[in-house]
Amino acid sequence: MLSRQKLFWLSRAYGLPGSDARFLRAVRDNCAYHIKHCPEYRLICRAEGFSPDCLETIDDLARLPVLPTLFFKRHHVSSMPEWRMAMKVTSSGTSGSFSRVGFDWGCVFAEIPMVLRLGFYHRLVSPVPARYVILGYKPGKQDKMGVARTMFGVTHFAPPVGRFYALKWKDGAYVPDLDGAVRTLSRWGRFPLPVRIVAFPSYLWFGMERMEELGLSVCLPRGSKILLAGGWKQHYAQEVDKPRLYALARKVLGVEEEHIHEFFGAVEHPVFFNTCKKHHFHIPAYARVIIRDVRTLKPLPMGEVGLVNLITPLINATPVTSVMTDDLGCLTPGEDCGCGLSSPYLTILGRAGLNDITTCAAGAAELLGKGEAF
Amino acid sequence: MIFAGGKILPDSERSAVLGRLEEDISQTLGGPPLAAETVLDALETLAAELDSGALDGLIARYAPPGAREELDRVRPQISRKTLEDRLSLELGGLGGPRPFGRAEVRPLGVLLHIAPGNMAGLPAFTAVEGLLTGNLNLVKLPHGDKGLTLAVFQKLTELEPRLAPWLYAFDVPSRDTASLKRLAALAGGIVTWGGDGAITAMRKLAPPGCKLIEWGHRLSFAYLSDWAGLDLSPLARHILRTGGLLCSSCQVIYLDTEYLAVGEKFCKDFLPVLERAAASRYQAPGQAAQGALYTREALLEQIVDRAASDDLVFAGRCCSLVLRRDMELELSHLHGNVLVKRLPRKDLLPVLGRQRGRLQTAGLLCPERLREELAALLARAGVNRITAPGRMSDAFLQEAHDGEYPLRRYVRVVDVENNF
Repeated sequence: MLSRQKLFWLSRAYGLPGSDARFLRAVRDNCAYHIKHCPEYRLICRAEGFSPDCLETIDDLARLPVLPTLFFKRHHVSSMPEWRMAMKVTSSGTSGSFSRVGFDWGCVFAEIPMVLRLGFYHRLVSPVPARYVILGYKPGKQDKMGVARTMFGVTHFAPPVGRFYALKWKDGAYVPDLDGAVRTLSRWGRFPLPVRIVAFPSYLWFGMERMEELGLSVCLPRGSKILLAGGWKQHYAQEVDKPRLYALARKVLGVEEEHIHEFFGAVEHPVFFNTCKKHHFHIPAYARVIIRDVRTLKPLPMGEVGLVNLITPLINATPVTSVMTDDLGCLTPGEDCGCGLSSPYLTILGRAGLNDITTCAAGAAELLGKGEAF
Repeated sequence: MIFAGGKILPDSERSAVLGRLEEDISQTLGGPPLAAETVLDALETLAAELDSGALDGLIARYAPPGAREELDRVRPQISRKTLEDRLSLELGGLGGPRPFGRAEVRPLGVLLHIAPGNMAGLPAFTAVEGLLTGNLNLVKLPHGDKGLTLAVFQKLTELEPRLAPWLYAFDVPSRDTASLKRLAALAGGIVTWGGDGAITAMRKLAPPGCKLIEWGHRLSFAYLSDWAGLDLSPLARHILRTGGLLCSSCQVIYLDTEYLAVGEKFCKDFLPVLERAAASRYQAPGQAAQGALYTREALLEQIVDRAASDDLVFAGRCCSLVLRRDMELELSHLHGNVLVKRLPRKDLLPVLGRQRGRLQTAGLLCPERLREELAALLARAGVNRITAPGRMSDAFLQEAHDGEYPLRRYVRVVDVENNF
């Protein structure tokens, strides 16, 4: 099983296609592990006539059985007993039910070099201490959300000397405190230590709009950054064009465009996608992305828009080797970006219309809510 | 949020409102009764505002996407003419002279509505049925109600202030059994909309003697007999349009045959029809992606959850058919993924009889010569609605609700003897 560690410890962060052979070997081993230990995954592979031997070239990755994230919401599958897992994480569950993904220790061990290498590459790692304003959840015992974990994780790239959370757990629900966040920003902005804002993009947007409305602005110290995680979720309708977001950040927070970083990931695919200086998500060596036709689910050529299929051999505890997100996106050749990276980049363009589902067909509510009791 | 006395109040007022509710109710019920005419006038004005587009902002703000289309479909149900017809159809003849004196139709008094969240506007509609029958209405709002019901109630009471004391709404979570018990204790009838869970829970909370009116979840199916040459596309469009989510949505396509080979042939013939319906239903890439994901999920569930079965799976683009060998009526994989089973006429009564009480609509597709005979058989089996397959989820004016006339359940008949 060292193939996974070799991929994550030895590969250059954006070493595509240089890491192809290592990636394939790791995926083969990862699949073999799930087939051996996860009865549901075994059944699916058998039904679809797939075995790890089918993976001979990098194009064969398209033959991996693809599991939609919805599958993990309805079936809590795993490839090892809970006591062997390092942790369990849930998705933020915007549609009411949650994915539950277990992480093994080997996965955690493989994540460390990935996060560090990408953190250094994108100049997120700094020895200068920073204060963090988090427009998101505070991780706590009451929840195990992946986003909270990511947001907490990124507060370690520069030594944290203070954290302010804008979403507080109060009487069984999260209460936003944007005004408190604005007050904290103005206070901390007067000190020389850099401030890092970690936020859901939509919250940052609403927060900055509110500041503009109230005529407030701060000029955060040099070295301050904005780190965006968690995607736009249900706020697609209000998604703004990025140039406007950058302009607003400059105006009300004094943070320049090159200091705004965005992350992309999913509980079912915890690879650390980062934006380059041109704000593009290049595919790191630890993942591969296939765009699939929205009707046939067949792989599409570079440039066409479809459902985003994410592949990684990162996790042994849960069979998330090849997952289909609800996101719609497309791939572009890395050279077209101009940032210097040659690995293709992924652009997220929207979301499959998976709305809240309500029903009166007998038994359907129970079926649809099958994953809720976690 | 709470609605009381024609005003929207914050939840912090809940215990104060509940505390004086009994007194307020006695005062309202002790005053002049609520005339159906008053309610009809108010609804007519409200409907006119709806038609003029004056409420569009409200709907866009509070209702889920697609609600406008749904409201347009049920709009005829709240027209004055329809409601008057319903009053005379459902309550006409209940009161009048009797050999001993006379019978009077009276409201139950106070109705507690456990309102459904599966269709925008339904919480308001159930309260309207209560108002029409002269009842005072306490509405427990569904979890997902984003404010539409409260906004409608406020609008309605603005248009007709006399309705204000007859309408209350509470945003009480289902787990707050203490508050629900307090409300139930004041009610003469409890109208529960919901699944088995909600109905069982309310039965436990209702005081003895309280009338239980239950609109539970149902299952519906299509029944096809001698279908060669008949148009299957309306059925396909129905399956895609409702996504299997309504009580009246087709879950299983029953074929009047004993032979599996006939079932296989049907699936092969019907799949392209279903695919065409899916393609025209899911035109935007986001919708198609949703359909494809649901179908992929259905196929995976079929592999994982029914590993030991010998079902035959016919996968299409954004839809699928699963031919199962048993005959039981059950929930399909939803969202354009439907079940196909054999059910020869001779087995219809015993098989459907096992689901009696859960049956709702049968979409019947057969040559005209068989229609009466099969409709009679389906009715005997316990089906409450028999329609063309394409109209299974259409609302018909003056139709009954799950085999009953709702207004009749919200009233009681008082017999008064003359000359004593």
